[in-house]
Amino acid sequence: MKNIRISMLLLTILTLTLSGCAGFQTSNNEEANVNEDGKTVVDFWSFWGSELRRPIIDKIVADFNESQDEIEVRHTYSPWGDIWTKELAAIAAGNPPDVVINDINATAIRGKENQAMNLSEFIDEDFSEKFYPELWEATLYEGDSYGIPFNTDTRVLFYNKDAFEEVGLDPEDPPETWAELEEYATKLDVKENGEYDRLGFYPLWGVGYDVWLLNANGQNYFGEDNNTDTVNINTERNVEVLNWLKSWRERIGEDVVNSYQAQIDSQQGNPFFSGDLAMIVQQPTFYQQISEYAEDLNFGVVQLPEYEPGSGHTSWGGGFVAEIPEGSSDPEAAWEFIEYLTGKEAQTYWAVENFDNIANIEAAEAASESDELTEEGQMVYQIAVESMEDTLLTPAPVEAPGFYNYINPQVDEFFLGQKTAEEALAQAEEDVKNLIEENQ
Amino acid sequence: MAKTNEETKFLDEEDKIENRSVPNTKLRYLEHRGNRNNMWRIFNFVLLAAGSLLILSPLWWMFATSLKTMAEVMSYPPSFFPESWEWTNYIRAWNAAPFTTYTINTITITTFVVIGSVMANSFIAYGFAKIPFRGKSIWFAIVLSTMMIPGFVTLIPQYILFSNLGWVNTYYPLIVPHFFGSAFYIFLLRQFYMTIPTELIEAAKMEGASHFYIWWKIGLPLTKPALATVVIFSFNGAWNDFLGPLLYLNDENLYTLQLGLAVFKGQLSTQWNYLMAGSLLVLLPVILLFFFFQKYFIQGINLSSGGK
Repeated sequence: MKNIRISMLLLTILTLTLSGCAGFQTSNNEEANVNEDGKTVVDFWSFWGSELRRPIIDKIVADFNESQDEIEVRHTYSPWGDIWTKELAAIAAGNPPDVVINDINATAIRGKENQAMNLSEFIDEDFSEKFYPELWEATLYEGDSYGIPFNTDTRVLFYNKDAFEEVGLDPEDPPETWAELEEYATKLDVKENGEYDRLGFYPLWGVGYDVWLLNANGQNYFGEDNNTDTVNINTERNVEVLNWLKSWRERIGEDVVNSYQAQIDSQQGNPFFSGDLAMIVQQPTFYQQISEYAEDLNFGVVQLPEYEPGSGHTSWGGGFVAEIPEGSSDPEAAWEFIEYLTGKEAQTYWAVENFDNIANIEAAEAASESDELTEEGQMVYQIAVESMEDTLLTPAPVEAPGFYNYINPQVDEFFLGQKTAEEALAQAEEDVKNLIEENQ
Repeated sequence: MAKTNEETKFLDEEDKIENRSVPNTKLRYLEHRGNRNNMWRIFNFVLLAAGSLLILSPLWWMFATSLKTMAEVMSYPPSFFPESWEWTNYIRAWNAAPFTTYTINTITITTFVVIGSVMANSFIAYGFAKIPFRGKSIWFAIVLSTMMIPGFVTLIPQYILFSNLGWVNTYYPLIVPHFFGSAFYIFLLRQFYMTIPTELIEAAKMEGASHFYIWWKIGLPLTKPALATVVIFSFNGAWNDFLGPLLYLNDENLYTLQLGLAVFKGQLSTQWNYLMAGSLLVLLPVILLFFFFQKYFIQGINLSSGGK
């Protein structure tokens, strides 16, 4: 019996000692949103925990806190992707954070499902004009905004100027149309003994087939304002585009495509840096890698070529919004922070430090002229800003969440040669239509 | 864990093969016994070595990746041995996040979970195995039926419960449930207790011992192999738990190692070499624990021979 008593005593002591540790202190929920100085605490969750991004967002938060007498923002990092699982549980329990960074493409769905707060009560009439219209529209559900766009991206064409000169192309006159792209690419190919010393271009490195479909059509698969009465998947043009993409693969050869792909994935070993690849579609942030791994590369950058002259340099992008989860303890304070986060000062800082595309137009233009960027950096950012004007988002309509999960497998089968483009797209269209019906 | 299962499977198969061949060739077997024994030994050895290599290969892959540069990780075709051994990956990985704090936090949680699991489950199992009471089998069936409920179904209700208790952002939701038993361990330990002769318990009772005393003095020491299994499983569970800490911990100072490892997985890219270096360091205690408890573990999992 003595043993038991001693063990129990030890266990109790251990428990009591540890209850002094932070992990064992419970806090009263109602008091939690006011700090020691009586300031309102805004809980802010993001997935920016990397060595690059963490200091930047922490600085923005610190700047905001310094400018404030009433509010203190506390930033918490949560793992990428899983952060939204955590958010959902917290919303369900009625104990969510006050501001969360979330995927722009599902903002409307979160609005519909009452996960994100309707922000229209905070929004002035001309507030929306600060942001790229395409981004703003993606945040709307039944006309109301459920998240404010923070950062975004687009796709542009990088090309090697030296290689252009070498084969007699004007380095200041990059390809404008798909036809030119193909023509230049073949000119830029250098093949010896059946092996490529240099490859001109391959359209599916850096982006997926969907970007080319978007570029050719100038619009997404669905009707105006993402209405699902129209579904444009199985169209003649889309069939043509898929076949066009496959023709590159057939011309260049499977093995070459795969081995280049592996090098591109390695970042550092990207054949574009060594001059083994003359053109590549990438996000503007690709410039950061160029300046890190291929400082002396003489490159240019241009918007995506047009499907046919005049059809538009349509590009594809995504992005993130700052939103207030339903059930936040102090939406007014949260909104004040969101306003700061998406305002010119914070956005410009984020853009320049991260070389990332941002949602605030004025800030994007300021960033492209920032002295903190090199001349090359300014050039790339300038094109990025121009490309933003032609960049479309592909948010999932509320009736078709995850619609791409129905299209991708079909297109994969097409590229594997198991289906023709017509068969694949017809099946994809049918599957997506079924999905819409299920959700109506 | 996977290792032992595989290994025991191998051994079992060996046994079967041997048993099958014995009656058919009994005479010859006896004549050439020495020879055949050697043959079998070599055959066993080669088979087990091949099996071990196969099972160890992912571990090697992890180790090799942790020493490569990012460029080499991505190179095609992949290399089996790292070109240059980048030991600094380990230092950089460890410093990428406050891993020392995370380690202390994880050890704290794991310690409580292991203590809770061993004590509670053993206590409950003793009751189910050795104390007669009304409706015992029904209660036991109810306990077992909780194993049928997938964790994800109870995830949100459980979160809401703990949130209402004000336990979010503390370790309580990660620890306290383990002090209330878990069907799998209860079942495991109950089966083990069943092999202990009831006479032993009755004798102790006649001497005037209470059930609590018997459990503590006789039950616990006799079920050591099964308890080792519970230690290993619950240690593994708590140490590797990602979802629990993810959901319940909001303060980064309370984060655990598994959450820390997620730092290397970003929106645009994954730092595989650091991720593998970090994962190996985090895996080390699990491997060590297994080596220390291996003997008991195999006894414990092999219930049929457990009580002998």
